[in-house]
Amino acid sequence: MTTRSLLVGPFNRVEGDLEIRLEVADGHVTAAYANSPMFRGFEVMMLGKDPMDALTITPRICGICSISQSAAASAALGDLAGRAQLPQGALATAIMHGIENVCDHLTHFNLFFCADFARPAYAGRSWHERAVARFTAMEGSAARACVAARAEILHIVGLLGGKWPHTLAIQPGGVTRAPTLRDRIRMGSTLASFRRYLETTLFGAPVEAFAEVETAEALIGWDKGDAGLFMEIAADLGLGEMGFGPGRYLSFGAYLLPAGRAFAQGVWQDGALSPVDTGAIREDLSHAWMHGDTAHPSEGETHPDEDMQAPAYSWCKAPRLGGQSMETGAFARQVVDGHPAARALAQQRSNVRARVAGRLLEIARTQILLERWVAALQPEARFIEDVSLPAHGSGEGLVEAARGALGHWISVENGRISGYQIIAPTTWNFSPRDAAGLPGPVEAALVGAEVSETEDTPLTVQHIVRSFDPCMVCTVH
Amino acid sequence: MADIETFYDVMRSQGITRRSFMKYCALTASALGLGPAFVPKIANAMETKPRTPVIWVHGLECTCCSESFIRSAHPLAKDVVLSMISLDYDDTLMAAAGHAAEAAMMDTIEKYKGNYILAVEGNPPLNEDGMFCISGGKPFVEKLKMAAKDAKAIISWGACASYGCVQAAKPNPTQATPVHKVITDKPIIKVPGCPPIAEVMTGVITYMLTFDRLPELDRQGRPAMFYGQRIHDKCYRRPHFDAGQFVEAWDDDGARKGYCLYKMGCKGPTTYNACSTVRWNEGVSFPIQSGHGCIGCSEDGFWDQGTFYDRVTDLTQFGVEKNADQIGMAAAGVVGGGVALHAAVSALKSAQSKAQTTPTPTNEEA
Repeated sequence: MTTRSLLVGPFNRVEGDLEIRLEVADGHVTAAYANSPMFRGFEVMMLGKDPMDALTITPRICGICSISQSAAASAALGDLAGRAQLPQGALATAIMHGIENVCDHLTHFNLFFCADFARPAYAGRSWHERAVARFTAMEGSAARACVAARAEILHIVGLLGGKWPHTLAIQPGGVTRAPTLRDRIRMGSTLASFRRYLETTLFGAPVEAFAEVETAEALIGWDKGDAGLFMEIAADLGLGEMGFGPGRYLSFGAYLLPAGRAFAQGVWQDGALSPVDTGAIREDLSHAWMHGDTAHPSEGETHPDEDMQAPAYSWCKAPRLGGQSMETGAFARQVVDGHPAARALAQQRSNVRARVAGRLLEIARTQILLERWVAALQPEARFIEDVSLPAHGSGEGLVEAARGALGHWISVENGRISGYQIIAPTTWNFSPRDAAGLPGPVEAALVGAEVSETEDTPLTVQHIVRSFDPCMVCTVH
Repeated sequence: MADIETFYDVMRSQGITRRSFMKYCALTASALGLGPAFVPKIANAMETKPRTPVIWVHGLECTCCSESFIRSAHPLAKDVVLSMISLDYDDTLMAAAGHAAEAAMMDTIEKYKGNYILAVEGNPPLNEDGMFCISGGKPFVEKLKMAAKDAKAIISWGACASYGCVQAAKPNPTQATPVHKVITDKPIIKVPGCPPIAEVMTGVITYMLTFDRLPELDRQGRPAMFYGQRIHDKCYRRPHFDAGQFVEAWDDDGARKGYCLYKMGCKGPTTYNACSTVRWNEGVSFPIQSGHGCIGCSEDGFWDQGTFYDRVTDLTQFGVEKNADQIGMAAAGVVGGGVALHAAVSALKSAQSKAQTTPTPTNEEA
């Protein structure tokens, strides 16, 4: 038996810094350790600040999912005040947030994930030339089309939120800008143009045709557009048998509208759906470079261990729900929401292909929702009301970022922030081990991955890690 | 890539037509405020001068600068991004991964010694020997120093690299430090903002690549062409400020009518940036247009000025023709050296330029 230890990283084409240590025996990974080597200390900076400052500071945790952070902060402040956004304000927030999530999925697919299929290591495969033409990093035709389409659809966020990234418009009482009738028409035509992009480039068919696939076979057998190219590659490379998740899916539910969340909240495990009990969340610090005890985020603190002592190996805390690790993200969200093809795929456990398929499904479904939401905007309605915050209290803000469940927990004393904790999606997915020695989802997913003797940056490991779309700047914050 | 490869060669090899190229030159000239006579000069420069390589590194940051950059509406921006400058090394977008990527950076440094531009996004945290940001097994500060050593010039993208930004907010847990405090022997151009406007980023980099020199900088090291005026000076809500029509609460009638956001904490009067003219997301809007005040994200220390919704109280009403240097850092709400002198100058000028007595609104008005 040959064993070796391998350090993979830094990973490029992920947001932020990431390193993974692998133990390899006889050509397969036997253990993996995910390290988030960047720490900024947002939770420490928030202490003593005016609660409203959370709206400006926390979105700056991440330049790619800043609206998710903004929406979570706003929801936490709203919960603190016991108020919800006005209905039209909630609708405008959902539009901005939905667009950001779709953009993140597109970026992941075109710029971060599929670029690996253009590698010379795959030369000779039947699809390789097409993958090179479409997905080569920075040059592929799909990469370029995606950058242009994203820039255009973000006009809508510009119209509603003033600027992207780091919009300021989302507030506990609504949004600061009431769109005009003209804005609504313009947003509608921008969405129509985006639909054309999706239908001619990504799906090669009407958005509805993809969104409404009913079976796992129809989804993984899709053969049109770039989605079809991906499915062809996935079948050839066995991406459906690679990078298995824990089989436990968490979603906080996406887009908090007056009628409820547009994608459902829940936990899916062993073929059954149960409600999310956020009271059962604990952040375990046993393998994080952090001082302190395991705690619920409403009581958690952040004291970095500057000596970086073993056995800790990451700045990332290890969140657990009822003592268990959870997979979160677009696939989890679609499974929890009950999409038939996603549920069918979840009968095996989640894998590299399923995670990418979940994003593609969500792009299609969100496009349909966005069109409906824009049509429902009422320019004459009120979009915001003043919300005054209590001097003492606590709040919980739960949203779904592109990469999964995002929560903000705030405590306020004497009108100042006395506690602020954030659990980001990648904190769940890339968590280190907990006190019981249980690995995080990515660490577990990597076990069994093939690593040939000659590989220093194994391709299977690249695919598995990237299938979770890590956002490392959010992970540790 | 031969050393004599020009920008034009690169653009041609990416399939950009001559017509698009000329259009690009014309638009660049106008974006930079240069006359039509500069178009052939820019074209000639692009055709004859060797391509300047760019190394783009990421420290402690949120990647918002890159995100802004890749959705620029600047002339053929996606081609600027994806081909013209041909980022020789970029953590976020490049194909290579792992140590091969690190090797690619070393190759570029070696090959273009003294000739490449180093673009820095984010900043190095210095606490605990830089352990809070490890890239390729080493503290980012070491990578930064190594990449800077042979650079021709450095661009500090965004508020992080320029000033520290929110991650340097009290108590600055990681001692996040702006680039110019670590690299002291190279020309550095600061392009602040969180993030900077895409068109400002492409404008700056285009200028540097085309003319092979830094654009004119203000005293803080920012390109004067984009940071020469306050948001307030060109704000479309300015008439409401002058008329004393203010939004008093998020949902009031004034908010609906688009009145001035000064009383809601807008920092436009003390912020130097091009948001109110260039605007965001391909010229669609900017924060004030979305009904929220400016937070002054392109100013040093904007993250630690009390809450973002406090009204600016140190404002004196200067004339619109002043720039940052004339008015001075004190008026810009920034504490720094030489404050007293410039404050005095500003006060004097404001007295000359406007007959009004100091209209500094106070809290009693609310």
